[in-house]
Amino acid sequence: MKKLLPLIVAGLSLPLTAAANDLMINGFMNVIAGVTDTDEITSDGYDDTVSFDRQTMMGLQLYKQVNDKTSATVQLVARGYEDFDVKASWLYFTYSISDNLEVRMGRLRTPLYHYSDFLEVGYAYNWISPPSILYLQNEFSSFNGADVTQRFSFDGGIDGSIQAYAGRFSGTTGNGVETYEMDLKPTGGVVATMTKADFTVRAGAHYSNLTLALDPTGSRGLDQYYAGAVFFGMGDDFLIEDSETRYLQFSTTYDNGSTLLLAEWTSLTHETAALLDNQTWMIGGAQRFGDKTAHLTYVDYSESTESGMVGMYQAAAEKAESSVILGMRWDYDSSTAFKAEAEYNDESKVSGADGEAGTIYRVGMALLF
Amino acid sequence: MIKRLIYTLLLSCSIMFPGSAFAEYAVIVSASNGNASMSSDDISRIFLGKTSKFPNGSKAKPLDQSEDNPARESFNKAVLGKDSSQLKAYWSRLIFTGKGTPPKEAGDDTAVKSQVAGDTSAIGYVDASVVDDSVTVVFSY
Repeated sequence: MKKLLPLIVAGLSLPLTAAANDLMINGFMNVIAGVTDTDEITSDGYDDTVSFDRQTMMGLQLYKQVNDKTSATVQLVARGYEDFDVKASWLYFTYSISDNLEVRMGRLRTPLYHYSDFLEVGYAYNWISPPSILYLQNEFSSFNGADVTQRFSFDGGIDGSIQAYAGRFSGTTGNGVETYEMDLKPTGGVVATMTKADFTVRAGAHYSNLTLALDPTGSRGLDQYYAGAVFFGMGDDFLIEDSETRYLQFSTTYDNGSTLLLAEWTSLTHETAALLDNQTWMIGGAQRFGDKTAHLTYVDYSESTESGMVGMYQAAAEKAESSVILGMRWDYDSSTAFKAEAEYNDESKVSGADGEAGTIYRVGMALLF
Repeated sequence: MIKRLIYTLLLSCSIMFPGSAFAEYAVIVSASNGNASMSSDDISRIFLGKTSKFPNGSKAKPLDQSEDNPARESFNKAVLGKDSSQLKAYWSRLIFTGKGTPPKEAGDDTAVKSQVAGDTSAIGYVDASVVDDSVTVVFSY
């Protein structure tokens, strides 16, 4: 995959000069440095030594209108935490059935969150990156399949869309230290969005069958957790095989250009006992003063356990945390923004016991080109 | 007496047609388009890609002026209510999702006017001084 970029760029340079009107190239880049004031907490992979590569990344999107009805889009992304290996996070064809109805096929972004669609485009939001406590499942960010989007308009200035998708995802997931082979087969969902003037409301319901291969003799955290469950005679409950996963999301924003208010809530439930059901919510606001914007967000994550023996064993893995994020964005020009942020992260519960709290400081630059 | 009458007339004009006496810019469609007037909200929704249709249901194709033209900045502020950074952020949320692309850039006042005149689905904004019979003004600001 690493060698793909120069190849694609070379291949594109031909049509680029031949039909520059049809090919659109858009890029974005985030350069971010971060450090924590204690090594007791881990957030987005930062520790008490300044790191530049955890969230630094660059994306290049190529869009080509093939004919009246069809277009092709590819988004290539190189992320610091993946050693800047170039990956195609999106790669799809769009077919417009009518002005308001379109079908996309290929590798698509899973529309899990309010900010999913532009999760990595730092310029599009005020934070350095969307709060990771809520926007956590980066591994699930893409799937292979298809989606259908119907747009509609009502009298009274209400516009909206309904997006339905279905597909599959297989790959590795992990916490940066350990990796697991994962399969979402199938995965699908429906997302409805409505806007009226400065208000937006979004609701989504998603469903997957999750398989995550565990080895009771292995040394990874989940392997050992599973081995313990087997020892207590609860192996079947803690197996992750075709486990039903349901995910609900609801969010609303108000944005009049100078004041932004937002609230988002998510709920994830697992059939398997190995992964705990969780609920996350956040509430925040931002105020613009000329070319500067100040923002404040509170985000809260908690897990729930089942009853009986299974629940007691789950409680040993239970986690809860919250963060207060205070930051500043400065629009240097119409395609460059500088940002600074402090996040107070309170890990109130880690593996069922009291955790630690600490602060993460980050500065960054977001570019569009 | 006459002075007073003129003053009253002028005053009532400015109440009935606020801003029209000092209109610098005009939002225009082709003379054969069929939409006689539009609200700034209707226009915003077309230029922000929220709808692809005119209020009467026909297809709408918005045309922007080039980035360096003063008409563009004034249109963004007066009609869309956003400055260039806010607009850039707005479009970055749509471009990178395949959910929308900004209006095509059509050049300056005269280029926009002639493209709008020749395309019943087009809508653009120009300095009011270039408006002629080939186009209909649907909004002034």
